[in-house]
Amino acid sequence: MLVAWLLEDMLVDLGCMVIGPAASVNQALAIIEANAIDVAVLDVNLNGEMSYPIADALAACGVPFVFVTGYDKDRMLSGYQAFPMLQKPFHRAELSATLARLLTPKAPTVEPAPAGGR
Amino acid sequence: MPSEQDKSTEQKAAESEVKSFQKDLGPFVVAAETTRMAMVFTDAKEPNHPLIFANDSFLSLAGYSREETLGQNFDFLLGRPADLEALVQVESAFADDSEKDFEICFRRKDGSKFWAATFISPVRDKAGDVVQHFVSFVDLSKHIQREEHLRFLLAELNHRTQNTLATIQAIAVQTLRGAANKEVVDAFEGRILALSKAHSLLGSKHWEAVGLHEIIDRILQPFVLDGSQAARFSIKGDDVRLEPKAALTLAMVFHELATNAAKYGALSNDAAGKIDITWQVEPTPQGDRMRLRWQESGGPPVTPPSRKGFGSRLIEGGLARDLDGEVRLDYDPAGLVCQIAMPVPRPAVG
Repeated sequence: MLVAWLLEDMLVDLGCMVIGPAASVNQALAIIEANAIDVAVLDVNLNGEMSYPIADALAACGVPFVFVTGYDKDRMLSGYQAFPMLQKPFHRAELSATLARLLTPKAPTVEPAPAGGR
Repeated sequence: MPSEQDKSTEQKAAESEVKSFQKDLGPFVVAAETTRMAMVFTDAKEPNHPLIFANDSFLSLAGYSREETLGQNFDFLLGRPADLEALVQVESAFADDSEKDFEICFRRKDGSKFWAATFISPVRDKAGDVVQHFVSFVDLSKHIQREEHLRFLLAELNHRTQNTLATIQAIAVQTLRGAANKEVVDAFEGRILALSKAHSLLGSKHWEAVGLHEIIDRILQPFVLDGSQAARFSIKGDDVRLEPKAALTLAMVFHELATNAAKYGALSNDAAGKIDITWQVEPTPQGDRMRLRWQESGGPPVTPPSRKGFGSRLIEGGLARDLDGEVRLDYDPAGLVCQIAMPVPRPAVG
């Protein structure tokens, strides 16, 4: 739990409004349904449940996201290996750089108003 | 299962030969019958090496009765369909003139499997021709179970350790929030993270050796957030395997050096500064020795610190003492230089 707070606090420190965290696929899908999200941080493994369905839902809505995993890239399902990935443990600077890249795809002058959640 | 009527004359003759031998009740016979080592004899004169003797230990291991076993071809023990690789190993062992041992998977009567260390040895007659084969089996099931359990425990331990380190980081940030200045919290967080990253890398290698390149890459991740920053680093050296203790200590050292470079050294200005990391391994009578050099250049002018901080204590003291190594930190005005010499394991051959 403490570790989830750490990620939340990191996001808040970076200027994000956090929606979540979601502890299961169903909770996450409900959040995606009910909210306008700019970017998402997705732990690959949610207490034993793989979060690929959440990735699918986000991709369908065009919401950028980054996977967070404790394992190597090649442990992920091949269809998902091309998505952005942060390997645990990561420095807040790594998170910040990744989110910045995800939120400013082509026009660097656009000021992102980040609201992110898991 | 061959009944008495189905058995060939040759099979019956071979079995009765064994029976008459058993009647003697000599010490070798008693040994073969009562030993806990599972063993069988097969007839080498028949094409598929039928069993002509099976001791009680074998029957209990494989789950068959003696009647179900004698006369069967040896490879019936491999089950159907038999694993091709196992069949090949068995065939070549029987065909060979000398002893062979290997590990293959057998099938019991009830369909369950067991791995056994199998030893096949030819038995010759007075003329020197191979007339039978002796086969012994050592059940590896417990062995394999223990290995799997250890692997599971290791994975669990890795997971717990990672979680603990992440929790320490979270506790620190929560506790110090507002109470200490941001620089202090950042420094603490960075050091825990470096330790954490090194642990994670070692965990992924099951706590066996890890490559020096991999440690450096992992530790420098927060300092090379984009392509332009990556270009400021030049990393060159042969593949060197590090033992866990060395890997963890070096990880902390590289973190200190990089942090210092970012605050005061070659990474503190805009793209002008560079860091060259190079190393070589030299053989010595006492084993391989690695010399590594961290060379900063293009940064602001360097002045030695007035007081030894945690970083330099770790670098000059920790390494040297923990690893039987030598470390020199030179605050050269052109750029900081750190030189490390330490023993490294010989690379595994093959």
